[in-house]
Amino acid sequence: MTPALNRTIGAVTRSLPGALSLIILAVIIGLAISAPFLPIPDPAAMEFDLYQSPSTDHWLGTDNYGRDIYSRVVWGARVALTVALGAAFLSILLGSALGAVAGYFGGTVDGLLSRVFDIFLLIPTFFLILLIVALFGASLPLTIVAIALTTWPRSARLMRSQVLTLKSRVYVQAALAAGAPQWWVILRHVIPNGIAPIITDGTILMGMAILTEAGLSFLGLGDQNMVSWGSMIFEGQRHLRLAPWMSIAPGVALLLLVASLNLLGDQINFAMNPQLRTRGGAPRKRASVAPPADEPAPSDTTPILEVENLRLEYRTPDRRVTAVDGVSFSLPRGGSLGIVGESGCGKSSLGSALLQTMPNNAEMTAGTIRFDGRAIVLDGKPVVEKGRSRIDQLRWKRLATIFQSAMNALNPVTTVRRQMIDALRLHKPDIKTSEAAARIGEVFDMIGIPRSRMNAYPHQLSGGMRQRAMIALSLILEPDLVIADEPTTALDMLIQDQILGEIADLRARLNLSLILVSHDMGAVAESCDVVAVMYAGRIVEIAPTRAIFDNPAHPYTRTLIGSLPSLTGPLEELKSLPATETAAAAASEGCRFAHACPSATELCRTTPPPVVALSDGHRSECHFARDLAFADTREATG
Amino acid sequence: MRLPQYFLFRLLQMIPIALFIVVINFALIHIAPGDVSILLAGEGADPAYMQSVREAYGLDRPLYQQLGAYLGQVLQGDLGLSFRTREPVIDIIAERIPATLLLAGTSLVLASVAGVVIGALVARRPGSAMDTAVTTLSISLFSIPVFWLGLMLILLFAVTLRWLPSSGMMSIAGPREGIGHVLDIARHMVLPVVALSAVWLGQYVRLSRASVSETLAEPYVTTARAIGYPERRVMSRFALRNAMLPIVTVLGLELGMLLSGAVLTETVFSWPGLGRLIYEAILSRDTPVIMGAFLIMSFTVMLAALLTDLLYAALDPRVSL
Ligand code: SF4
Repeated sequence: MTPALNRTIGAVTRSLPGALSLIILAVIIGLAISAPFLPIPDPAAMEFDLYQSPSTDHWLGTDNYGRDIYSRVVWGARVALTVALGAAFLSILLGSALGAVAGYFGGTVDGLLSRVFDIFLLIPTFFLILLIVALFGASLPLTIVAIALTTWPRSARLMRSQVLTLKSRVYVQAALAAGAPQWWVILRHVIPNGIAPIITDGTILMGMAILTEAGLSFLGLGDQNMVSWGSMIFEGQRHLRLAPWMSIAPGVALLLLVASLNLLGDQINFAMNPQLRTRGGAPRKRASVAPPADEPAPSDTTPILEVENLRLEYRTPDRRVTAVDGVSFSLPRGGSLGIVGESGCGKSSLGSALLQTMPNNAEMTAGTIRFDGRAIVLDGKPVVEKGRSRIDQLRWKRLATIFQSAMNALNPVTTVRRQMIDALRLHKPDIKTSEAAARIGEVFDMIGIPRSRMNAYPHQLSGGMRQRAMIALSLILEPDLVIADEPTTALDMLIQDQILGEIADLRARLNLSLILVSHDMGAVAESCDVVAVMYAGRIVEIAPTRAIFDNPAHPYTRTLIGSLPSLTGPLEELKSLPATETAAAAASEGCRFAHACPSATELCRTTPPPVVALSDGHRSECHFARDLAFADTREATG
Repeated sequence: MRLPQYFLFRLLQMIPIALFIVVINFALIHIAPGDVSILLAGEGADPAYMQSVREAYGLDRPLYQQLGAYLGQVLQGDLGLSFRTREPVIDIIAERIPATLLLAGTSLVLASVAGVVIGALVARRPGSAMDTAVTTLSISLFSIPVFWLGLMLILLFAVTLRWLPSSGMMSIAGPREGIGHVLDIARHMVLPVVALSAVWLGQYVRLSRASVSETLAEPYVTTARAIGYPERRVMSRFALRNAMLPIVTVLGLELGMLLSGAVLTETVFSWPGLGRLIYEAILSRDTPVIMGAFLIMSFTVMLAALLTDLLYAALDPRVSL
């Protein structure tokens, strides 16, 4: 068994609905299998005690022919399970075979089959099954085949999309390159990998099949030779007043079986994609603190943003990951800071902590953030003043943000202009329509969006224009500080340069303070006075832009700049360093970069490096910071 | 493209599907055991009528000509005669449609509105005890066989408590006009609507829970929070508005499944709609009616899918018309 499978099974059995449905299923299956050996009367045996209410003799009573209902319910379970397994098996077999073929061969085959899948989705399956059974005569095998024949496109569609993603994967390509025949490749690699979500869907399919069979039997189209729960209810309905237990018992059995199948499918789905359960949601209430008593009034020299020893953790039921691990910096009014690092280094988490927009499973555990001298976070807790959190008082009027707009950062169903007006109105409720329009026009001009594009929806704009619209939105209320998270990623180089240029330009013109979060050293160099390099949750080096490029004093900064040709090898690997490894690095005893550092020594692996202050505003966390800073960099560049 | 043109375009796309469904019907009649003319005319039809059916459908001609004849008949709206009442199937069906629309429409509106609201509320606290409880409950709801739920409601509210009528659409000696008539129908509707919408409610709660929690994780929601919108507005303007799109899509796609619930509910409550008609037809082996009902149901679902498409296009500016 693979660990992933083990984990899934573990998660399902641990959850209450999962465990409950497994128990119910086990009981029903157990009873169904052992029905012939149980000491219960023959389900078809008629006795003279008609319409007996439940008693010790007949646990669930008897029906209009004096047949024992408990026995009939137990035997009915066999029919229900036969329908479930038979229909699901046939349907999945047929569906995944056709889906795999469609996905694998693509082209016309795919086009044709996909069309058929779509048509089947539009056919009301229950009526088709009903028609088939009505025309061909009611029998259980026919019902099973009819259900499979109408439900297979579900599995087919799932399998098709699985195959489409899988077939581009390396090992399939490798198997093909090695000369394996195509059908063999499909069987060997694609189907075992694509089958997991189809099996999950299978539990839902089984529930549907059982309900369909019950519905048919209830309409009088059940197999006359079998005891099915649906036909029991069909008969019970006529004796509802006299013997309600005739219809209650089989209905409860149906409900229990179908609900536990559906719950099981749901639990498996959640266990395989745990983020489905916790993602999103409204921000939860967090513990807050009152503002400190002795807060000096801000002066001209007060930094716009001060961060001290900030920590942020992500919490999952079984572990904690520290994403920001004691970060401190200070940004003077009108200044600009670039935060650089690879993905997973904590730079975006840092950004979300500054804006207090982090997801619910993230928690600031320590640190202070001051905006213009006033604490907005104390000891990791948001500061609340007169019932309103201080960050809320700053939002958009003084502190705005630019997200990467390629990622749906703008509401896709609202025009750009509408979004601007709404933001403006939110913070200036009394603004006149004409004033609002004038302000929006002004910002559009400033940012270089033609006014004719104002009424466009985000998707109607090009990538560059959409990013400009995001910038315009952030500037609409003339904020003091803008935090830009990867504002140019996913744009082509030329547009990137233009937009970075415009940001730098606007900053100077509007006396804006800027924090630019990016993975790209070059982007940051262009628009920031100070650069902070983050690695595994810490700022490992911070310095004025010139200083950091001229005298990088940390081996990691050097790999980022790429100034050391001998390090291009490790750099390639670093780019793909997964977040979990970064977390492992953060947990290591000595220097967190030691596992990948070309200059690492024994000292590095045992002792965390101190913060070395090099020159004005230049700090580095490396045992050899001094040696690196003053080493002759020409040797490397030349 | 303008909206009417788009509508036309989508309508044209439906033609092959409609043909496909008619062909399925035709194929089933011919594969089914028994004499085709009996299936088309109904068992025990008088010889003269049987002969006219044979001629109309060209039953002594080759198969492809029969298909042509069958298509022609269907296109003219001729679905044959009910063998039980000797009335045209199309008329019998048309007569039953309003009752079904009333029942299914009311339940659909109730279930979808309540479902979306409940689902959205739960989506605010994913993973909470409330979330687990509501999710489990809604899964249980749509696992209930709707006809059985109907019976249990009748048992409790009509048989035991005697609060509400158990069957039919109006009282036999009740008022036939004015507010009294409306109230009478409303009283008859309560139980079937509760049964039907309870089962659908489960579907909509789940759908809306999934869809809303997905949109709440979208970057534009984070933007909205950074802008400082109060959470209520984030929910209504940003999350719900966007979450409606997948909900509408699924609503259209699952209509066929929903209709099967309506048929079963009508059977339980003797509601004089299409479902009840199908049940009666099955009992009296009135095949022309069953086939006609299948065709009409299929066309209804297609039409609904088309309307959903249009609604989607109206809601989502990204759909270019
Ligand atoms: S302390 Fe050692 S391991 Fe860490 S960066 Fe410096 S040289 Fe590399």
